[in-house]
Amino acid sequence: MHIPDGILPITISAAGYATSGAATWYSLRKIGQKENAQASVPKASLLTAAFFVASWIHIPVPPTSVHLVLNGLLGAVLGYYAFPAILIGLFFQAVMFQHGGLTTLGVNATMMGVPALLAFFIFRLRRVVGKESRWAVGLFGFLAGAAGLGIAALIAWGLLINTIPAHLDVEAERASIYALTLAHMPLIVLEGIFTALVALFLHRVKPEILED
Amino acid sequence: MIDGLDKYAHLRSSLHRWDPRYKLVGLITLMFAFSFVQDLRLLPAMLAVTSGLYAASRMPLAFLLTRLRTPGVFVIVVAILWPFISGTTVIARIGPLSLRQEGTLAMGLIVVKFISILTISLVLFGTAPFLTTIKALRALGLPPILGDMTLLAYRYLYEIGNDLKTMERAMGLRGFRAQWLSSRALGVLASLAGTMLVRSYEQSERVYKAMILRGYGHSSHPRDQFHRMVCIRAHPRDWAGLVGVFLVAAGFVAMEIWLRGSGG
Repeated sequence: MHIPDGILPITISAAGYATSGAATWYSLRKIGQKENAQASVPKASLLTAAFFVASWIHIPVPPTSVHLVLNGLLGAVLGYYAFPAILIGLFFQAVMFQHGGLTTLGVNATMMGVPALLAFFIFRLRRVVGKESRWAVGLFGFLAGAAGLGIAALIAWGLLINTIPAHLDVEAERASIYALTLAHMPLIVLEGIFTALVALFLHRVKPEILED
Repeated sequence: MIDGLDKYAHLRSSLHRWDPRYKLVGLITLMFAFSFVQDLRLLPAMLAVTSGLYAASRMPLAFLLTRLRTPGVFVIVVAILWPFISGTTVIARIGPLSLRQEGTLAMGLIVVKFISILTISLVLFGTAPFLTTIKALRALGLPPILGDMTLLAYRYLYEIGNDLKTMERAMGLRGFRAQWLSSRALGVLASLAGTMLVRSYEQSERVYKAMILRGYGHSSHPRDQFHRMVCIRAHPRDWAGLVGVFLVAAGFVAMEIWLRGSGG
């Protein structure tokens, strides 16, 4: 899901930096409006590191294992801190593990971070049903997790298919879209279920994490 | 899981001595100039500049190769698939597969750009301690919240990573084996992720109190902090390096525009 350096044309990389700049500005503005914004910084930072590490947990899907993206869960837990958290996480990924890249950091952050913000809004909708209801936490947790990965995957395919440098023939293009859609569907459901389970765990053990 | 990105930061080379702020601006500009290139004729020059910079950094070649290994899998997939699925001009046939000219050329472009940009990024982050580079980013105007979050997340990444290892080992010792995707296995792994979040959350409350006691929130300007912490002041050679890299980057952009304009 991380687009590496060298693939995208510079216009897309620059547009990615512009959108991620706007999303960061929006998030920081919302954070700044909080009464004691500075108090949340350590919480957001340690959770950023924890999410980064949690994405190393491998889920067995025989014959292999997958790791989850967790951007939906990150949105649900971190709220407006989600976008900066993803930006930082992807920066670490790019410079420490060479996953993704620095020129594509803006594009990757937009691809993962905007769905995370949307997941935050989706998860917040549980208030309509009742904040304390376990049922609502589970359902909206699932929706947030599935939407987080689903929208990110849609953005990724859109970018890759539309900006590939040489001319893909139409059939190959269509086949690859179908193949990628089919391959991602089970992962989207898995991400949704996992997010719902973690949200229910937090709701039971430490509900204040889900406060915002 | 994390091996030292900056383990060669102690070496002595002109790139190590270059002020990290100038190095950031210069080398990131160069990466974007490389990313602008679409003409294959510029690739040898790109590789030459990249290898020149890496050689100047005096970091061992084995370090670069280790770093290229993980993302290299992706490049290999692209390198194998692209020439067959992309393009219309068939240059060779291997059984039912057709090797296409456009795909082969696009593959070359992607692979060389990818390796060059990645190597430059390694030079950028490998020739100074990682914390110094983040402080340099702050001095360049990174918003304070982003700077603080980056430093704190980096500080606790190792610790939380070790926590995960410990918890996974404890789960294994108690008989947990995640071999099949079952609702129980998923539940246990979700609790593992949840526990990590709860532990980090609780730790962050203690960290915040400790930070307040040490005067967090009353700091001076990041640029002054940078000078104080890193003890670096810009030198004429830092400027010279920046101008040199700008000229190289501008050269690539100008050549690319000229080559496109000449219809080649």
